[in-house]
Amino acid sequence: MIPYLLRRLIYLGPVWLGISFIAFALSSLSPGDPARLTLQRQLDRQPTAEEVTRAREDLGLDAPFVVRYVRWVGDAVTGDLGTSYRTGEPVLGALLERFPNTLRITLLGLGGAVAVALPLGVMAAVWRNSPLDHLSRIVSLLGASMPSYWVAYLLILLFAVRLHLLPVAGRGTWQHMVLPATTLGLATGASLMRLTRSEMLEVLGQDFVRTGRAKGLGPRAVIVGHALRNALIPVVTVAGLRFAGLLGGAVIVETIFAWPGIGKFVLDSIFDRDYPVIQGFVVFMGTVFLIVNLAVDLSYGLLDPRIRLGQR
Amino acid sequence: MVHGRDPLRTSLTRRHALRLAGVTAGAASLAGTTGARAASFARAQGAPGGELVVGATQDGYRNEPNRANIGMYPLNPNVFESLVRLTPDYQIEPLLAESWEFVEPNTWRFTLRQGVTFHDGTPFTAEAVRWSMGRIAASGGGVLGVDENSTVVIDDFTVEITPTRPNRRLPQQLNHPNNSIVAPNTEPAETRVGTGPFREVEYAREDQYVVEAFDGYWGDAPGLSRITFRFIPDATSRVLALQSGEVDLIYEVPRESAQDLPSSGDFTLATSTVGAYEALYVNIHGAEPYDLGQDPAIREALAYAIDKETIVSGVWQGNAEISDTMIPPAILGPAADTITGTTFDPERARGLLDAAEWVAGDDGTRAKDGRRLALAMIVGFPNAEIHRPMPEFVQAQLADVGIEMEIVQTPDTASYEERLGTGEGDLWAEAGSQNDGNPCFLPDLLFSTPVPDGDPESTAYGRAFAPGADFDAHIEECRSAVPPEEVQAAAASAMKVLIDEQFVVIPLAGTFRLFGVAAKVTGFEAHPSGVNQRWAGVTVAG
Repeated sequence: MIPYLLRRLIYLGPVWLGISFIAFALSSLSPGDPARLTLQRQLDRQPTAEEVTRAREDLGLDAPFVVRYVRWVGDAVTGDLGTSYRTGEPVLGALLERFPNTLRITLLGLGGAVAVALPLGVMAAVWRNSPLDHLSRIVSLLGASMPSYWVAYLLILLFAVRLHLLPVAGRGTWQHMVLPATTLGLATGASLMRLTRSEMLEVLGQDFVRTGRAKGLGPRAVIVGHALRNALIPVVTVAGLRFAGLLGGAVIVETIFAWPGIGKFVLDSIFDRDYPVIQGFVVFMGTVFLIVNLAVDLSYGLLDPRIRLGQR
Repeated sequence: MVHGRDPLRTSLTRRHALRLAGVTAGAASLAGTTGARAASFARAQGAPGGELVVGATQDGYRNEPNRANIGMYPLNPNVFESLVRLTPDYQIEPLLAESWEFVEPNTWRFTLRQGVTFHDGTPFTAEAVRWSMGRIAASGGGVLGVDENSTVVIDDFTVEITPTRPNRRLPQQLNHPNNSIVAPNTEPAETRVGTGPFREVEYAREDQYVVEAFDGYWGDAPGLSRITFRFIPDATSRVLALQSGEVDLIYEVPRESAQDLPSSGDFTLATSTVGAYEALYVNIHGAEPYDLGQDPAIREALAYAIDKETIVSGVWQGNAEISDTMIPPAILGPAADTITGTTFDPERARGLLDAAEWVAGDDGTRAKDGRRLALAMIVGFPNAEIHRPMPEFVQAQLADVGIEMEIVQTPDTASYEERLGTGEGDLWAEAGSQNDGNPCFLPDLLFSTPVPDGDPESTAYGRAFAPGADFDAHIEECRSAVPPEEVQAAAASAMKVLIDEQFVVIPLAGTFRLFGVAAKVTGFEAHPSGVNQRWAGVTVAG
C-alpha cells in the first residue's frame, strides 16, 4: 500500500506540472490586455499609455512567456499563486477563503445524492421491472436531463416563492444551503442511481452471488455484503469524479443563489482577465482533482479485498 | 464608472413611459432651482423608522488601500457624500460644497458647507477634502487629474483644487461616488466613515451591506432606520426574491420580467428618466473588407433604414424611448433640440443607395463593381446578451433596403475591445450609461481623433470612429468652456456632427433604470444614474 501510495504521489508531480503549464499558456493566450483591464478597473477610467506600460512592468507582463511561467511555477510550489489584479488579494488566500463555501454545498449535495441514489439504485436492481424500478428510472432520467439553472429556478419558485419554506438566495443559516445543495446533488444523484442499478444488476447475475445464496446467506448479506460491495467500485469512481467536477463547476448555482463560493469569484476573474486568479484556480482545482482521484483509487483496496495495492 | 458605459437591463411599459414624462417634467422644474435643493433633497416622510431590504446586483467593490470604494461605487448606500450631487436631470447641485467658482488659469475654489459632521463625530472641514483628494491622487489622480499638491486648504471651509492638466469639467466630475469625501485619516478599505444620511453597520463581502440612519445628519433625517443591501447577482433570482417577500426593492429588473411584475398588485416598477443608451457606431476608417463605412451614402442609408420605433417597442418592449442624442438628452439641456436625428424612411435609404450606384442583385442584396453590400455587426459591449434581439431586428430591416448584415457576437468585453483594436467590423453595437454631469465625457472618450501616447482604448475607438477636425473643435470648446450653457452647446454640436452630419453614430434607444418595488415602499425615485441613487426619502409602511 505505502509503495503504491508513494509511486502515485511521484506521478502527481509531472501531471501537476502539465496542468500548471496548460493553465498558464491558455490564460496568456486569451485576448485582452490584463494590465489595461486592471488599471481600468482600479482607476475607474481609461489608463494612459504610460500607465499601462508601467503596470505591465509592475505585473511582470513584459517578460517572455517562458520566463513568466518559470517564475510563476516556482512561486506556486511554495504556495504563492500571486496577487489578484482585480481585488489585490493574494490568490491562494482568496481561493481558500471562498473554497469552504463551495465545499460545503458540494459535500451536502453529494452526500444527499449518495444517500438517496444508493438505496434506490439497489432496490431498483433487486426489484427489477417493478413499479419502483420504473419510477426510479424515470426520476433519474429527469434528474440527469434537467439543466441545473432550470432546476434551481424551479426549486426557488416552489420552496421560496410559493411555500416560503426556504430563502431564495444568500447565506447565513443552514436553510440557505438547502436549495443550492439540492440543485447540485440532483444530477449527480440521478446518474449515481442509474449506475448503481446497472452495476447491481450485473453483479447480482454473477456466480459468487448464486453461490452465496446456495450456501444459505440471507438476502441482506448477499445484497449488501457481497453484491453492493462489488458494485460500488465504479460508483465510487464516478462519485469521486462528480465531486471534483461539482467543486469546479458550481458557478451557475453559486450565481443564482448568490452563494459566495469559488466559482463565482473565478468567473468574474475570467471576465476581467485576472490571470493570477484564473491560473491559480486551475492549478488549485487540478490539485483537488488529483487528490480526489488518489483517494478514490485508494478506496478500491478497502472495497475489494482482491485488490492489494502496492503488492501487484 | 468604467468610462460610463456600464450595462443596463431595464424595461418598462407604455403606461410607465407616460409616467416617466411626468417625472421628466418634474425633474425639469427642479432644474430651475439651485442650492436650496441640496438641503431639501432628503425629505423625511415621517419619523425615522422602518427597515428596507434591497436586492442589489453583485458586489463590485474593490478593497485596496487608496483605491477602495466600499460604500461608494457601484452600490451607493448613501454613506458618503461628494462635494456636489447629480440631479436626475444631470445637472450639478451643491452638496458638501455650497458654492464654487473657477479661478484662472486652472483652479476651482469651493466654499464648504458648515455644521456637517462625519459619522464618527469629526467635523467636516477643508482638511477632509484635502485628505480625500489625496487618496484619489495616490491612486493615479482619477478622471479629475489631481496629484498630491492639487488640493490647498485656504481656511476651514474654503479649499482650492488645481488639477495637473486643464480641467474645466471638474465640478461635473466630482459627483461620481468614487470622488466621495471620507473622514480625515480614515481608509475605506478598513473603515467607512462618511457624512451621508446613513452610516455603515456591516459590510459582508459578496453577501450584504447594512446601513442605519445617521442621527447627526446635517440635512433632513432619512425616512428609514435601516437598509440592508443584499448582493444578488442573478437578475431572475432578484425578481424571485422580491416576489417571495425576501427583499422589498430590487435593482435592474430584466425587461422580460418587467411586464409581469406589476400584475399582482403587490409590486410596482419604478423607472428613471433616460440615463443610458443603445447605439450603433459605424467604422469609418476600416480597411477592406471593413471599409464600406467610409462611404457616406451607406452611413446615411443605414441611419434611415433602421426603424427605431420597432426596436423600442419590440426589443425594449416599450421600456425605452427613441433617442436622437446617444447620451441622455437632459445633460445637453436646451441644446439637445439642435440634434434632429433621423426618422425611419426606407424609401430614402434605398434612394441614397441607388444614387450611390449600389444596385440590388437577384437575392435582393445590393452590389457595386462586383462587391456586395455586406456588413458585419459586432455585438459584445458590455456583453452580447443585453442587446438581444436588437441585432436580428436591424438585420431584417437592413435586408429590406438591400444591405446584408452578419451578426458577430464576442464572448466578452475583452474580446470585443480586442476586435475593435484591429478594426474588424462595420457596425458596433454598444450600450452605455452616463454617471456624471460632464456632457462631453463620452463623445470625447469615444470619438476624438487619437493623439500620440493617448489613452489606449480611446485611441482604439478613435481609429475606427473619429469623424475629424469639426468634431474635435467642438470637443475642445466643450473641454475649455466654463458656463454650463456653453458646455452643453459645444457637446450638442459635437453630437450633431456624429449623428446628423457624419452619421457615425446611429442612436437606437434611450433606456431607463428599472427597479422592482414592493407596494409597502413609498418615496422611492429611480435615479437615471444608478450609482447616484438616493435613499433618504424612502419609507416603508407597516
